[in-house]
Amino acid sequence: MRRSDLGEFEEIVLLAVAALSSNAYTITIAEELERETGNIVTSGAVHAATQRLEQKGYLRSVWGEATSERGGRRKRLYSVTALGGRVLEESRAVRNRFWDRILPAIRMEWN
Amino acid sequence: MKPKQKSSDRASGQPPRYLTLLLNRLVAPHLREQVLGDLHERYARRLTVHGITNARRRYILEALSYIRPVFIERQKNEYQSTFNLGPAMIKNYFKIAFRNLVKNKGISAINICGLALGILCCLFIFLWVQDEKRVDSFHANGSDLFAVYETTTANGKVNGSYSASFLIAPGSSYPSFALENIHEAIPEIKYQAYYATGYELPWGHPETFQVGEKKIKLEGSRAGKDFFKIFSYKLIEGTAETALKDVGGVAISRRMAEMFFGDPAKAMGKTMRFESRMNFKVTAVFEDIPRHSSLKFDYLFNWEAQKTKLEFASNEIRSYLMLSDGADVAKVEGKINHYLAARLEKKEGVERRAGLIKFSDQYLHGTFSDGKPAGGRIEYVRIFSGVGIFILMIACINFMNLSTARSVKRAKEVGLRKVVGSSRTSLVLQFFGESLLFSFLAMLLSLAFLILLLSAFNNLTGKEIGFPATDTSFWIFLTALLLATGVAAGSYPALYLSSLKPVWILKGVARFTQSGLWFRQGLTVFQFALSIVLLIATIVISQQTRFVQQTHLGFDRENLVYVRVEGQLSAKNNYLLFKDRVSELPGVAMVDRSTEAPHDMGFSVADAIDWEGKEKNAAVYFSPASVGMDFVKLMNLKIVAGRDFSKSMATDSTDAFMVNEEAVRQMGMKNPIGKWISAWQKKGHIIGVLKDYHTQSLHEKIRPLVIDVKENEYFGVIVIRTKPGKTREALAGIGAVYKEINPDYPFSYQFLDQEFDKLYRSEQVIAKLSNLLAPLAILISSLGLLGLALFSAEQRIKEIGIRKVLGASIAGVVALLSRDFLKLVVIAICIASPVGWYVMNKWLEGFAYKIHIEWWVFALAAILVMSIAVFTVSFQSIKAALMNPVRSLRSE
Repeated sequence: MRRSDLGEFEEIVLLAVAALSSNAYTITIAEELERETGNIVTSGAVHAATQRLEQKGYLRSVWGEATSERGGRRKRLYSVTALGGRVLEESRAVRNRFWDRILPAIRMEWN
Repeated sequence: MKPKQKSSDRASGQPPRYLTLLLNRLVAPHLREQVLGDLHERYARRLTVHGITNARRRYILEALSYIRPVFIERQKNEYQSTFNLGPAMIKNYFKIAFRNLVKNKGISAINICGLALGILCCLFIFLWVQDEKRVDSFHANGSDLFAVYETTTANGKVNGSYSASFLIAPGSSYPSFALENIHEAIPEIKYQAYYATGYELPWGHPETFQVGEKKIKLEGSRAGKDFFKIFSYKLIEGTAETALKDVGGVAISRRMAEMFFGDPAKAMGKTMRFESRMNFKVTAVFEDIPRHSSLKFDYLFNWEAQKTKLEFASNEIRSYLMLSDGADVAKVEGKINHYLAARLEKKEGVERRAGLIKFSDQYLHGTFSDGKPAGGRIEYVRIFSGVGIFILMIACINFMNLSTARSVKRAKEVGLRKVVGSSRTSLVLQFFGESLLFSFLAMLLSLAFLILLLSAFNNLTGKEIGFPATDTSFWIFLTALLLATGVAAGSYPALYLSSLKPVWILKGVARFTQSGLWFRQGLTVFQFALSIVLLIATIVISQQTRFVQQTHLGFDRENLVYVRVEGQLSAKNNYLLFKDRVSELPGVAMVDRSTEAPHDMGFSVADAIDWEGKEKNAAVYFSPASVGMDFVKLMNLKIVAGRDFSKSMATDSTDAFMVNEEAVRQMGMKNPIGKWISAWQKKGHIIGVLKDYHTQSLHEKIRPLVIDVKENEYFGVIVIRTKPGKTREALAGIGAVYKEINPDYPFSYQFLDQEFDKLYRSEQVIAKLSNLLAPLAILISSLGLLGLALFSAEQRIKEIGIRKVLGASIAGVVALLSRDFLKLVVIAICIASPVGWYVMNKWLEGFAYKIHIEWWVFALAAILVMSIAVFTVSFQSIKAALMNPVRSLRSE
């Protein structure tokens, strides 16, 4: 498995989709990211990321319902595929292993 | 963006609409729904949280974030469309086109012939216009050559003329001309040359040359010494420097050299006798004057010779300049006028100014308005270019109409092609290709006719145009015409038919929209309006032409022949001898003389005429003439007051004048008989008043006329009235007498009525052309109407069937089908009549004596067009009405 094909923004989007479970679409993802990171996240950036993730097979999507505030247009709901889940798990495991190896004294220095 | 729209967006709580529209175009179709939905939802959410201003600002940023390749790139089609330009398909396109052509032989023939006619017209007009524009364009220094024109303002009246002699001290025995050495005074002027012919340009009147026993009359001119440096007339012998330098020299054409000496090389330095009076030595031989030269001459004398040795032919002296490269024309004009102001004699209330016009433009701009060259042949060039384009348009419209008419049948083909996988592009290409094929066939046909009819066309227009096989501009024009007609004619079927939905077509519900019908009806109205205008023009022109030919001129123009006074005839004794001898001939009724040919007295003068009670500064332009005693009787002129010249009155040859009514009116005389009047040095009394008669073409108003008796003038014409039916033997007799009395000159004569008709040469060309074009336009328009009728009958075939089943009569159906079209023609008549009236009134303004356009002209045009239309339409509608309804209703 090539780890290098998951960018940082992609990874965080993938995580957000997983966290939002059944209500993950562009707007909620973008808002979630904004809240968590404090940065402005445009829906265009999120949409582009989800498109890439879908192509890589980490996400899948289905048409959701249409609402009046969308002008009668349907939304596209995303969910993480098994492959996407494994990639997330692996990435987390790598990080965890490194975290575990950091000496407490060094972490003290940061604070 | 307009603030109004902004506020409406704001009020409705919608994001800025322009961005939505922009994104809708930009974003790939398969992403549009999600993208726009997201944007709107986010906007709506922000609106409640952040307020409208913030929300709108953020919306813009959001929207911009979508402008990147991933969103713009279109999704690739899953299904590959068939390759439509393979050899098999192209073969199929040709096959189908050919089958369509053969299947509807009648319509195809109409279509191609109509288009060919249009193209033929266009080609002829193109050739004519090209030829007109080519005149005088062959000179190497073309862009630096200018003609001088004179603008005279006298008593508030502005006159313009190319006769720009700027004569200093008229009447002196050694005339001098103000522009003669102007190139020494104004550095921008490289060369200047005067140029003069006889009475009328381009040729003047012929003069006699003699070498040995050979006597030939030829026409030529006199020109300034730099003439050959200015113009690119090719010299075979001699140089531009010396050709016109010598007072005793003459430059002759190759033709003339060959006539007299057999070979141009042998001519140099030889002596030629001119008018049996003087000898000239050949100083140069030039190549025959090209056809596209507005100046025409077989010989040129030096300007000094004109001033000192030769008689003064006329006031029609032209002046040509060659400016240095890049000289500012307006500036030079100013300098010339400054130069002239110091030299010309000053007269109160009279201002003479010089103007410059490009030499190559002067041929097309022959007439003056407000003292400046304005109209002339250029108007005909414009009119005919317009007519050519219009006729082509009409033909193209027809093509469209007829193809659309047939397209009901083609629609099934389109449907099938689409189902089998043809893309719209390839259908459009197919139809354009077909119409290009049609126009190509039409073009071949029209080229064939062009070659066939070229000589007839040349006859008609008096030109010598050959088939321009080597002229690239012709072929470029032809290709452009082919593409333009092909694309214009095929555009409607190509774009419309290819847009039809296959499901509809194959189901049989394809109907043509109302707007499409409107469009084609509009085209038909336009066609007919144009044809009617042309028809009105034809009627008016032919009426005016007839009017001109049949108007009683005030004198009897039949059986009049005139001969120039020259050579031995210039002596009074010889003239009297000639007169006596000719009068005795059996076929001759009467002989007398006049200083100008009586039908075309171009000479006019104001200063030289004085009369009792003339006010100072009064400028009345007279046509003066000196005639013989019998002139009034010879011409059969009417006398309204006083008496005719009479031999029995001793004083009549020295003291008597006659004037016409117009002169009396303009001089402001009451009881003119017995009042004194003078012309130049001769002073005398008015003995009679002539009823006004036309001394010029009907373009001009009758001018004041003053005539006296002078039998000893050395110039003028001898007018001879022959007895009806005996002209031929009379001429033979006159010729014999002429040869005896004036042996140095070949006998040449003119018929006055023929010469009179020649004054209307350009009108005759116009008349002939419009006679030709109007029926053509009507023919082509009728073809268009036929197409429309065909189409409509095709469309309503079921309706007609049902109507007939329910008991409609044939007459009823015919009326139903015809009514719609005749309505179009009526509309066309309503539009065309005022337009035609306006245009023809403008044309008639060129005549001082003209017909009134009467209402029946329009009625006639309307009735004619209407009946042609009725005939065309009923032909088709009767056919449709007679059809058996069983056949039209059996399907479905």
